[in-house]
Amino acid sequence: MGHMQLKEIKAAPYERAEVKKGYTDQSLHINLDKTDIRISPIDTAVKEKFIGGKGYDLWYMWNAVTGSTKWDDPENTICISAGPLGGTPGYPGGGKSIVTAISPLTGAPIDSNVGGYFGPYKKFSGFDVIALTGKADQDTVILIDGIESKIKIFAASDLPETAYEMSDALTRYFDEEKPVNISVVTAGPGAENTYFGCLNFSWFDAGRKRVRYKQAGRGGIGTVFADKKIKAVVARFGAISMKTNNPADLEALKTVTKTHAKEINALDPKQNRMALVGTTHLVPIMNDHDCLPTHNFKFGSHPGAAVIGEDVYEHIFDKGFDGCWRGCAVACSHGVKDFSPFTGPFQGKKVFVDGPEYETVAGCGSNLGIFDAHTILEINFYCDAYGMDTISVGTSIGFVMECFENKLITTDHTGGMDISFGNRHSTLALIHQMARGEGFGAIVGKGVRQMKQIFATQYHADAAFMQDIGMESKGLEFSEYITKESLAQQGGYGLALKGPQHDEAWLIFLDMVHNFMPTFEDKAEALHWFPMFRTWFGLCGLCKLPWNDIVPEDNKDTEEPAKVIKHIQWYADFFSAITGKKTSTDDLISMSEAVYNFQRVFNLKMGYGTRDHDTIPYRAMGPVTAEEYESRQERYDTQLTEKYGMDISGMDTNAKVAALRKERESQYEQLKDAVYERRGWNRNGIPTKETVKRLGIDFPEVLEVLEQNGVK
Amino acid sequence: MIQVDEKPVKWYQGMTIADLLEQMEDVRFCSVVRLNGRLVSSPKFADTRIPKDAVIQLLPLVAGG
Repeated sequence: MGHMQLKEIKAAPYERAEVKKGYTDQSLHINLDKTDIRISPIDTAVKEKFIGGKGYDLWYMWNAVTGSTKWDDPENTICISAGPLGGTPGYPGGGKSIVTAISPLTGAPIDSNVGGYFGPYKKFSGFDVIALTGKADQDTVILIDGIESKIKIFAASDLPETAYEMSDALTRYFDEEKPVNISVVTAGPGAENTYFGCLNFSWFDAGRKRVRYKQAGRGGIGTVFADKKIKAVVARFGAISMKTNNPADLEALKTVTKTHAKEINALDPKQNRMALVGTTHLVPIMNDHDCLPTHNFKFGSHPGAAVIGEDVYEHIFDKGFDGCWRGCAVACSHGVKDFSPFTGPFQGKKVFVDGPEYETVAGCGSNLGIFDAHTILEINFYCDAYGMDTISVGTSIGFVMECFENKLITTDHTGGMDISFGNRHSTLALIHQMARGEGFGAIVGKGVRQMKQIFATQYHADAAFMQDIGMESKGLEFSEYITKESLAQQGGYGLALKGPQHDEAWLIFLDMVHNFMPTFEDKAEALHWFPMFRTWFGLCGLCKLPWNDIVPEDNKDTEEPAKVIKHIQWYADFFSAITGKKTSTDDLISMSEAVYNFQRVFNLKMGYGTRDHDTIPYRAMGPVTAEEYESRQERYDTQLTEKYGMDISGMDTNAKVAALRKERESQYEQLKDAVYERRGWNRNGIPTKETVKRLGIDFPEVLEVLEQNGVK
Repeated sequence: MIQVDEKPVKWYQGMTIADLLEQMEDVRFCSVVRLNGRLVSSPKFADTRIPKDAVIQLLPLVAGG
């Protein structure tokens, strides 16, 4: 590789819009077909209805694409927004970006919530939302320079190949003296060659004097980014304070920020200790509760989990402040310095690994039968550097391993590789292949849904079995929780708008451990309220962890402890302080409900968004195989006899598997009915006209989509 | 004595986490505790004996993700 070259092909000076009460009220549109840069105001009506963040992203995408737009069509649009509260230094989790696009995996809108400084820098540079459309004809770097008030588009050549090196090189290129002013969004070679490419959002870690990054992982937005030949989008901005959002009530903002941060500082050390261990505390907890995906979600625990949890990573993580946003008290973005990979292009070199988080440990560790903290680090490093989502990588390889062990695929298909559970060498070899788009890795990089089709049609593998064990829904790979014993969480995954990601609802403990929602109606209520509230974080540019991962000591005395009402009030106060709109806790739900239903209609516009698409593989509901059943025989036998009143004395294991399956599949369908009713949707899972009218999203184009789908 | 959420609680030989929680009020959300810094989850409460002078924190809620 030669020396990095950036040739300016377009520069557009602009007048930087002042931030008022968290908003700039300006949008930036870059069309790569024409190298066109356009800035336009955001209508007040859009602001009122869509709030910001994911709401803005979806609205601009909706207007950019048609129902027939595919992920690799030029009109597919990547939108990035920070929301009105994003960019508040010191507020825990107060610096997130929300990214959307039409997903290569699902064909529908996908959204991803990510740390790093890009979203706030972009907003303070003058833009609430940016929309990237079209396709460049050469590798392109985009700079949004809020210090010099210029947008620049560069033709790029000889850039470093990986996101790890490219983020660093571009940070230093655009502000050598003050690298902290730079945030880079980039993908990597794996994003070009798989369907689950992620985006890396960087910030400069002043303490360690190095670039760090977090990932917008889900749904292949990095793949869309690479398809548009965008190598990087860079935001540059200077000093930030609490005044930068120009809040309506600075004193109120200071008060609520200090109050929330103080509580986290006091209680995190007593609770999850995320400032020390990130989310790796979840590994032993999930393992003990039989919820840690093991061997492609077949089992929920394994003795080896003891060496891939917080006890180990606490000692491996580099000590120091690890917030992915300035002053965040949760500070859970840990990493490992001087790690030396044993494979791939960085073999033998010393690198800094950002991570791992729980999802990566579970997906790329236990789910693959790899119980080795250092191998998980190496997988984590390469997935990020190549720009591939660790969740989809882990869940996809888990599927391949189970297919291999069941002889649905053989070494004839894998290029001679033994892809059995626990084979870390093959796992890493596959990841390098995926990144290069070569060999069997090129097939794995298409994701579980396409693999099922390829294995069935080309290798004559058992399609029905693969449907049962292939952990995807809507085309998106499952994130890393076992849901067999939690019907509510089966709905949390299956009824999630974008596919099985836990950011809409995480109800496993409330349902399975505490049994707080025994009826379908209870579950439906939870599957209404929690997705609506969690959506709100994405509208505003916030992280959800400070809401309910650290809870007040008196939370247990409140009427509904699961909702952590005290914190919700703080969020309402936060919103009021920034925007100047007196906001109640109920208002937060109302904001989300409109955007949530709009996204469901958006799915419908793209040809999805109905009951059939809320299907989940049976492995998410119960034991597929006799081996699985027998591993938890007492549990399942008891359910068949006591819960369903069956006489199982004459039944062999396969008969019991079938009997249990019939019951559980029926329950899931009943759950759908209950949830659809609670959400104001018809039996086919489509919002009714009354619902969209109540929520004020009864735009003509929304009504047209409903009518096209039989809603009168 | 042991310390539970920074408050002294009377300890006896053979006391388990399950025994401790049974004598406490309002612990319905407690599915995980830290016993001398180590996580112990509810399936192991009945089998985990509390050592003398232990320091225990009750994790109020497991929120996931």
